[in-house]
Amino acid sequence: MFSRIICFKKYLPLSFLLILLLTTWLLSPAEARTDTENSGPGSALQAIVNVRIVPVVGQEIPSGTILVENGKIKALGANLEIPAGARIIEARGLTAYPGMIDGYSSLGLVEISGVSATVDNRETGRINPQVKAIEALKYDSMHIPIARANGIVAAVVAPSGGLIAGQSTLVKLDGWTNREMVIKESLALVVELPGIRGGRRGFMGMGTQQAAVSTDRALAELKELFHRARMYEIRREQAAKNLLLPRPDFDETSHCLLPVVRGELPVIFSVQADKDILQTIRFVQEEKIKAIFYGVHQGYKVAGEIKKAGIPCLIGSLYDQPPVWEDGYDSLFMNPVLLNQAGVKIAFSSSSSSAAKDLPYHAAKAAAFGLDRLEALKAVTIYPAEIFGVDKLMGSLEAGKQANIVLADGDLLELGTRIEKVFIEGREVDLSNRYTELLEKFRKREKEK
Amino acid sequence: MKNLTRLPIFILLLVIMLAGSASWLLAAGNLLIKNATILPVTGPPITGGDVLVTNGIIKQIGRNLTAPPGTRIIEAQGKYLIPGIIDTHTHLALSGTNEGTEAITPEVNMAEVINPDDPAIFTALSGGVTMVHTMHGSANVIGGVNVVLKMKWGQPSEKLVVREAYPTLKFALGENVKQSNRTLLPGRPQRYPATRMGANAIIRRELLRARDYLAEWDRYEKLRNSKNPPENLLPPKKDLRLETLADLLRGKLYARCHAYVATEMVEFLNLAKEFGFKIGAFEHAWEAYKITDELLAAGVGISVFIDSWAYKMEAAEGIAYNASYCTQRGVLVSINSDSSERVRRLFNEAGKAVKYGLTPDEALKMVTINAARQLGVDRLVGSIEVGKQADLALFNEHPMSAYTRCDLTIIEGEVYFDRQQVIKEREEAARKGGN
Amino acid sequence: MKQKLRKQHQPWPQKKWLPLLILLMLGVAMVLALPAAATEVKPVYALVNCRLVPVSSPPIEKGTIIVRDGLIEALGPADKITVPADAEVIEAGGLTVYPGLISAHTNLFLETREQEQPQTAEDFLGAYTQAATPQQFPELQVFKEIKPKKQTVEAWHRAGVTTVVVAPNRGIFQGQSVVLNLNGDQPNSMVLKQPWALHVNFTTERGGVYPSSLMGTVAFIRQKFYDASHYALHQKKYQSSPRFLKRPEYDPFLEALVPFVVDKRPVVFQCNNQEDIKRALRLIEEFKLNAVLTGCNEAWRAAEHLKKARVPLLVALDFRPPNASIYNQQGEAVRKKAEAEIYPANAATLLKENITFALTSFGLSESSFARNLQAAIKAGLEPQAALRALTVEPARILGLDRQLGTLEPGKIANLILTRGDLFGEKTKVVRVLVDGILFNYEEKGQ
Repeated sequence: MFSRIICFKKYLPLSFLLILLLTTWLLSPAEARTDTENSGPGSALQAIVNVRIVPVVGQEIPSGTILVENGKIKALGANLEIPAGARIIEARGLTAYPGMIDGYSSLGLVEISGVSATVDNRETGRINPQVKAIEALKYDSMHIPIARANGIVAAVVAPSGGLIAGQSTLVKLDGWTNREMVIKESLALVVELPGIRGGRRGFMGMGTQQAAVSTDRALAELKELFHRARMYEIRREQAAKNLLLPRPDFDETSHCLLPVVRGELPVIFSVQADKDILQTIRFVQEEKIKAIFYGVHQGYKVAGEIKKAGIPCLIGSLYDQPPVWEDGYDSLFMNPVLLNQAGVKIAFSSSSSSAAKDLPYHAAKAAAFGLDRLEALKAVTIYPAEIFGVDKLMGSLEAGKQANIVLADGDLLELGTRIEKVFIEGREVDLSNRYTELLEKFRKREKEK
Repeated sequence: MKNLTRLPIFILLLVIMLAGSASWLLAAGNLLIKNATILPVTGPPITGGDVLVTNGIIKQIGRNLTAPPGTRIIEAQGKYLIPGIIDTHTHLALSGTNEGTEAITPEVNMAEVINPDDPAIFTALSGGVTMVHTMHGSANVIGGVNVVLKMKWGQPSEKLVVREAYPTLKFALGENVKQSNRTLLPGRPQRYPATRMGANAIIRRELLRARDYLAEWDRYEKLRNSKNPPENLLPPKKDLRLETLADLLRGKLYARCHAYVATEMVEFLNLAKEFGFKIGAFEHAWEAYKITDELLAAGVGISVFIDSWAYKMEAAEGIAYNASYCTQRGVLVSINSDSSERVRRLFNEAGKAVKYGLTPDEALKMVTINAARQLGVDRLVGSIEVGKQADLALFNEHPMSAYTRCDLTIIEGEVYFDRQQVIKEREEAARKGGN
Repeated sequence: MKQKLRKQHQPWPQKKWLPLLILLMLGVAMVLALPAAATEVKPVYALVNCRLVPVSSPPIEKGTIIVRDGLIEALGPADKITVPADAEVIEAGGLTVYPGLISAHTNLFLETREQEQPQTAEDFLGAYTQAATPQQFPELQVFKEIKPKKQTVEAWHRAGVTTVVVAPNRGIFQGQSVVLNLNGDQPNSMVLKQPWALHVNFTTERGGVYPSSLMGTVAFIRQKFYDASHYALHQKKYQSSPRFLKRPEYDPFLEALVPFVVDKRPVVFQCNNQEDIKRALRLIEEFKLNAVLTGCNEAWRAAEHLKKARVPLLVALDFRPPNASIYNQQGEAVRKKAEAEIYPANAATLLKENITFALTSFGLSESSFARNLQAAIKAGLEPQAALRALTVEPARILGLDRQLGTLEPGKIANLILTRGDLFGEKTKVVRVLVDGILFNYEEKGQ
């Protein structure tokens, strides 16, 4: 079963191949998907011309051409010759950016947060390594086309709740089924350590039992679970070799934690307080696991240690209050700035489904407080691609990468910017969405008069 | 160790809080802001412009202005000066949001429960917000009387209240008052109303009661003023609940109605017509774009989120085009935060409207002059004009840009938020902490 | 002197007339047992060679004070006062005599009610679904609820307190308080004034009953005050002639409010923060109440209002920042600093602003009361003013200034004898007289 899990580094060449195979297979019936009327299939040769190109990696090209073929960027430059037969996309006045990657979202799991029938991100219980976001992902969520229309082409979708929330997935924001969207079926196990403000948001404002669990205790519990999984594996292996030995009963939790303790499946730790971050770094090093931090509200206080540990950080939503007053009113805005300056690899996240489209604005907010604008842009494109091990596929406009291209009438992170076209793996995707559809529907009333 | 190094920061914060307000008071509302790009909202932008503030009032707008000696001068080269942002729907600076035990509680008044110590006031200031409409919650069909406050952090409650603003009464419809998203507690019956029908019926019932109440007092006054009033004439019992509703019927109060779906709003407009009361605005009004004709005919504006939607069923058709489209149709629109967090990025929320069809100027109006008009304070604030109160905010980039940051917030010529000052004090504290 | 000391029981009042008492009790034992105090003839005491601090006049360095029948008979310099022949002389050299302290707001002798915050969803549901707690009982007489305890009385004696107001402590209209002299544990003999005042608090109890919020509470209080005056008017009109009128339905709630709303008996508003003070002042103004504010540990923040209003204040020596306060919202360090430095200066600030007040032990244990009193003085409260705020000021606010608050002939013999200055850190209260009954707290070997 775990052979199906695509993991970091070790299996990277394999995963790369798999994805290539998968995408070519997916792309064949292209007209059945979300193409706009005049767009060709993703495999067709296309030329985006007279476009300002911000490749994110490498020099900006004030006016140039991007050649797209077989879903990939064939070439880009200022003075490219346009091959005969190419579909020409005139993009004068527009800027081409790589599509953005949401570092952490609940897209496809949460439709209407207040209606539990439409909420699929939070399993009961505290230890749920067995649940997988991909298996509940609503590919036709109304929030996905809205995010896409804002230039977001891929997203981490994470489950939530308890200590081990489940397995997150990395998907592109296009596909007729959840499986068609997969980039990495299981991206990382999600572990939620206690937050700084503890039980504030408990049952009707009351404290919750969960708040009583400290990070020490949570990590001790994880340690125990990991140990159990390792012993489980050893004992099962030995029992397989020696038929006289009793074989341990099937243990779902241990079974599902095996890829983690083997160092194959990374863990996303939702961790906020500085001292908790330090504890978690120690834990990660002791357990020799791959880790990504998420949230990291007080990360700036221990940026050096995070940098030294080489753990990348997914910045939690900036639509939040400082965790404690003493941190200063702007601590959440300054946090990514200071982490970036310390050399920590950061990626922004929407931490949402209904507000997933706001991903660029989180990055811009940090830029408003001092983050270099190009770094802000990288932190929604190439940095998340690197963090998730897909930077060979996406995250920048470079020849050979997937043609995930956004054509915008202005700065990608700017509020007023309109996204004119979005290409995902070379295919121009439909930018209509619930917003535009409802607007058009009720505009008719005005026109009737 | 860590705690020790942070201690001076706390002490400093305390000092800022205590001494800060006093030292700001020394400025006594006199300022000269120089070389800013002024966005007056009601007029064209002025580049390299100066604003002179005397006794809290904008005295002069122009170029190369001079100020009397001793006036504090704020150099604003390269920055954008806008009127202080006004949030038309919040619940901040209150001790409690709802009296939710009964379906109607118009007798309660937010002015009675102002908490000037709410840190959300400072949070608001840090986002250039100078004034908020702080309201009863939406737990019941008729909530309470709301209040408009200036974000004068550190000042006593009575100095926060804007008495010139419209007195408004909170109404709420839909899922919250139906309690449809609430788990029913064992042993507790479901509260009436459980339907939108019930909500409307309650409003009608209470307004009819209020009419009776007014009639009862009229009868009493007539008897009392008659030639031979009975000796034991007893006045009717004073009922605070009905007094408030009577004020609504008398036109002394404006209804501010929390409503999401089109039908609710259409029916509330009908109720207003039936009883002849005034509507200040619809709150949230997620489906306003479906009934712009009705809103225009009734002259009723909306106070909405820009795009916070899909958190419940009735918000599932709340499209980000709502504010822009309604504005384009001529409806008076303001953008609100309804949150002690979002309040500090209300300018970002307004800025999003540019994507959905408005110009940056129109977008900015939604959190300044439009909001002022909805609260009945547009003679005083909401734009940068000579004679208006000097409620101002200074941004480092165009306020409708995603890259912008509020650097200075001024109320009546007094600086209540100064980012440079905050940073300076933080650095000083850190330096002291390091020793 | 040592002999005299040894004669006295420690620390409970001595029953000097024990043989007589036994006889008497034997005489009636078959019918009923009379309480001992009822037949006791109080001894005459002459405290000699002590320092007298009468509060109403300058201290007398070497003085004598005569106590007879529970009252102060005479006091003055040693050479001017003749010790009566029937007096039991108490050598009090090295001791200072003050009027007994008055704490005009306490919840002594009441059953404590646990008000724990529910921690889990189950607890919360439990609390929520319990029978709704009544929010109001203005007719409640706290006197009927109290169960005085010897140990409590002694503990407060040691803190110098001889008179307390016991106020109810639940709901909005909490009920009516009583003024007690801490002369023993028999409620009937302890009463100085019953009832004293109606107590109103802006805090609601948990439960889904109206009003459940502060805003609802304010509206509720106003409505009830209006109802009470209308109720009184209705009754009056009906008594003059029932023509055209419905008979007013008897309402015990409103009935209990009428003396306070119409006849202006005192109403005490508990003010838990600066805003409560303003809330109370608005109500007092609206209904022209004869009111007193209590709690008030943020009074300095409402000084402007208090100066104008001239409403008597009972200021609790409680330095914990209220929940709503900014000092409680900026982290633990700020809160601690506020508790240690800012709130203790409350009384000193009021003094500077010429706002008169009494100090109380409301919300405090006897030891924190003594400690906080010293902290308030350290924070700038003049000791003289502190003494007044615990003697003459509360006596005046309670309307008992003819009986209590100073050392003057004719006043109730509530005295405390200290070794050292009353507000000194190491000072001990060694003797207490309440209603002329002597309590000895001299520790052995001293």
